[in-house]
Amino acid sequence: MATPLEGRAYVVTGSGRGIGSEVAKLIGHLGGNVVVNDPGVNLDGSGSDAGPAAEIAKAINDEGIGKAVANMDTVATPEGGENMIKQAMDEWGRLDGVIHVAGILRDRMVFNMTEQEWDDVVAVHLTGFFNVVKPASIIMRQQRNGRIIGFSSGSGMNGNTGQANYGAAKAGITGGVRCAARDLGRYGVTANAICPGANTRMTQSVPDASRDLRARAGIGGAAPRQQSIVNQLRGPEMVAPMTVYLLTDQAWNVNGKCFYVNGGNVSLAHEETPYRTIAKAGMWDVDELRALVPSQLMQGTSNPAPPPADLDLPGRPVAKAE
Amino acid sequence: MGALDGKVAVVTGSGRGIGAGIAKLFAKEGAKVVVNDPGVNVDGSGGDAGPAQTVVNEIKSAGGEAVANTDSVAEAAGGENMIKQAVDAYGRIDILVNVAGILRDRMIFNMTQEEWDAVIAVHLKGHFNTVKPAAVLMRQQRNGRIINFSSTSGIIGNTGQFNYGAAKSAIAGLTRVLAKDLGRYGITSNAIAPGAATRMTQSVPDSARQLRSQAGIASNAAQPVQESQYVGLREPEMVAPMVAFLASDDAWNINGQVFNVAGGTVSLAHYPVAMRTVFKPGLWTMEELDDAVQNVLMKDINNPAPPRDDVEVPGRDVAARPLA
Repeated sequence: MATPLEGRAYVVTGSGRGIGSEVAKLIGHLGGNVVVNDPGVNLDGSGSDAGPAAEIAKAINDEGIGKAVANMDTVATPEGGENMIKQAMDEWGRLDGVIHVAGILRDRMVFNMTEQEWDDVVAVHLTGFFNVVKPASIIMRQQRNGRIIGFSSGSGMNGNTGQANYGAAKAGITGGVRCAARDLGRYGVTANAICPGANTRMTQSVPDASRDLRARAGIGGAAPRQQSIVNQLRGPEMVAPMTVYLLTDQAWNVNGKCFYVNGGNVSLAHEETPYRTIAKAGMWDVDELRALVPSQLMQGTSNPAPPPADLDLPGRPVAKAE
Repeated sequence: MGALDGKVAVVTGSGRGIGAGIAKLFAKEGAKVVVNDPGVNVDGSGGDAGPAQTVVNEIKSAGGEAVANTDSVAEAAGGENMIKQAVDAYGRIDILVNVAGILRDRMIFNMTQEEWDAVIAVHLKGHFNTVKPAAVLMRQQRNGRIINFSSTSGIIGNTGQFNYGAAKSAIAGLTRVLAKDLGRYGITSNAIAPGAATRMTQSVPDSARQLRSQAGIASNAAQPVQESQYVGLREPEMVAPMVAFLASDDAWNINGQVFNVAGGTVSLAHYPVAMRTVFKPGLWTMEELDDAVQNVLMKDINNPAPPRDDVEVPGRDVAARPLA
């Protein structure tokens, strides 16, 4: 058995359960040492439980290839982020990678979303990313080597109803990855993002009733989960190999990219570069844009949530409203 | 007859730069405008009622209607207040344009918590703080336009802007969710990634531009600002027409998109969909992934900041790359 990560040290946030735990276990399996971080909170961020992190650390130590220690800090505070990085340094004297998987959900339609729901989700996902990347980047820059992996989401990249907080935070992680890649690439450090698709505690939390509602309203293509055969190929362990591959020496030149990983599918995401362009050597009139934008830029694109046909909407051709 | 006759708009950060251009064009096209700007410095410090009032005065002297507002979008109360001011002054809110922003550039390994928090607060939380109260009203009236400001720094990436790039990419993500949450109520949400020569871009010091160009980091930022031949074609008011079009009734079915607007160039940004895919009906091994990544997914794809030649990078000299 090859152990390409032998002797190296990693911090995996949110690795007590789900995708994070699979990433931590695969790192251990390939010889790496892991700080298994997980405060063991509920899906909404409440409560705490030392069990999940301790259990995964024990599983890694029991396998006996890499070593693991448990950590209960929250990524939502700068002290928590620093502390888990420090724990890796204290244990193993180095830091080869930080993988930020930790996350919570507080879904709500934006017009009902509270400030608290917004703040909590942004704090764990996005500021949590800064809280670990900042201290990690200092060490990685000095040692001229390192890996940063942020977990983004299809919700951020493509948008998902009821997830203004989560979708914004997840897209923000991709943006942070792109900037960290440019800040740190010259020092031999890479930063990449994973947009996972997996059947976990987090996705289980979307209630069947809301899946049904969405399906009826034509919003999300959502059959009730128990009927989906696709989920059988979407275990959280399927996300681990690509994530861990990015930690290996082979991936030294893969930097600033976003990968969708969903079951056995691995995709490179398209960069958000200009797709179609119109140009004028001067300032546009609104009337010119009125003619050119629909016919040139928008041709063949669709509205992800079009207004219902019975809604009286200024601008919509009357024939279409009937 | 203007494209925005009878509409009521709130434009954040419209005391200067791109925002001011939008507020003035909106008024010219017939909209009544709340000109929001606390008149802070580029880093968010200070405060000055002058810029917002100056734009209001210009709009009024050209025969338009506008009121000034100096609330901060970084506070929930500030966001609510400027939406409320539109309703109090003009009875409704049809259009929300979120332009307000600050910069605190720093390499990630030197960035302070305060620099992170301040930029996230104004850009990202600032968008939520105005969108939330506006969405409540727009949903009730079954009509509305939300136009957010993202940036290529976020959707493509930029050195020294971990905070700003994360916030701006998050705004693009937020916009795509808003499109889905609000589309069925006749509301559209879109984002602009602008390019313009403004006070904000002037703040990137020439010495930093030269350093970047010497280090081969960002070739597009190599020229000193004052020598750029593009300045005259990148005036901030050139971003405004596309924003005005998206705010008009004609754009009722354009939703959830990001547009790059710089000077006379308007682009629809590529959706971040899968570009190349490899598939295996089961768990990948490291060896299989190495083959698939090197030879398919990443084939001819650049590293935006490759390690310097003098950095000893494990893996750089791996000869045993299958098929490569």
